[in-house]
Amino acid sequence: MVVGVTLLIWAGVHNARERRLAMQQAMAPRVVLTPADAGKPDEPMTPKLQGKTAPEFTLVGLDGKKVSLKDYKGHPVFVNFWATWCEPCKVEMPWLEEFSEKYKEQGLVVLGISTDDPDVPKSAIERAVKKLGVTYPILLSNDKLNEAYDIEVQPESFYVDRKGTVVIATEGIYDGQGGKDLIEANIRKLLAESAQ
Amino acid sequence: MRAALVAASLWFSAIQLGSMDAPVKPKQHVVYVAEAQTVAAGKRAVLELRFHVEEGFHVNSHTPKSELLIGTDLELGASAGVKVAAMEYPAGKLYVLSADPAEKLDVYTDDFTVKAPVTASAGEHELKGRLTYQACDHAACYPPRTLAVDVLFTAK
Repeated sequence: MVVGVTLLIWAGVHNARERRLAMQQAMAPRVVLTPADAGKPDEPMTPKLQGKTAPEFTLVGLDGKKVSLKDYKGHPVFVNFWATWCEPCKVEMPWLEEFSEKYKEQGLVVLGISTDDPDVPKSAIERAVKKLGVTYPILLSNDKLNEAYDIEVQPESFYVDRKGTVVIATEGIYDGQGGKDLIEANIRKLLAESAQ
Repeated sequence: MRAALVAASLWFSAIQLGSMDAPVKPKQHVVYVAEAQTVAAGKRAVLELRFHVEEGFHVNSHTPKSELLIGTDLELGASAGVKVAAMEYPAGKLYVLSADPAEKLDVYTDDFTVKAPVTASAGEHELKGRLTYQACDHAACYPPRTLAVDVLFTAK
């Protein structure tokens, strides 16, 4: 009797382990074979916010000062979400610095928003910003804002016109040469639409 | 007892099946490729844990070239009868973003294997752990993710 019960328990445990291993093995190819848009973004993708009012925010900058989107009402604003762990972001940020200076007189404002986790030291973000030569304001994001802007990947950029509408929104960078030109063309479009 | 085990197993399977059908867009870019492994009991042995990176993506290696990048890291929890030593990670591959050929990254693509040295008593064992990684494709990066890893092996 005791032997029989022991055997039954052993068989149950053994079968459970076998099923779990089989399940793990079955799941692996199932997940891999659904790559969605993996590797697709040869061009920047279009987030859902395009054409809508840019969500308002008030964030603390690296310099400790609070900055709100509404502070720049009447200006075309380029809002760029990035993170220190995102290499494509760091490719385009020096370009944004250049455009920030180049189009300043036409009213363009560039705001960088770091989506790094709160446990990333501010000093690490400051080091990255300094290394990239960025002088435009860098603000620190939070989950609520990331959700409002539907941030899923890095970088994401929002071209906000003088009225506060997102006229262009992009995810990722252009893969290959020409990415800088594409951003500048979008900025020119933003400035042109804002001038109307 | 057996009924309870079967019920627990069915419950676990239902959860797994549910999660298989739910997401259209996968949130994980790395999967653990579970394999049955048997090691010698009472001696130092090595479990080979294989992971697959989704096609079109790369993850930073365990030792990325920049301190700001998030390296791939595997942690295995404690389990009775099993001692786990420090993980052994494979070397990464050179990866260059076409938008910035000057920047060299050290990454894993396709398949990579992390070795877990263990000393285990005779019997069947289970190690629960988690793989932390951060994935990118050639144009964008995705937030750091944690993948639950359940390692089943036998020592005899």
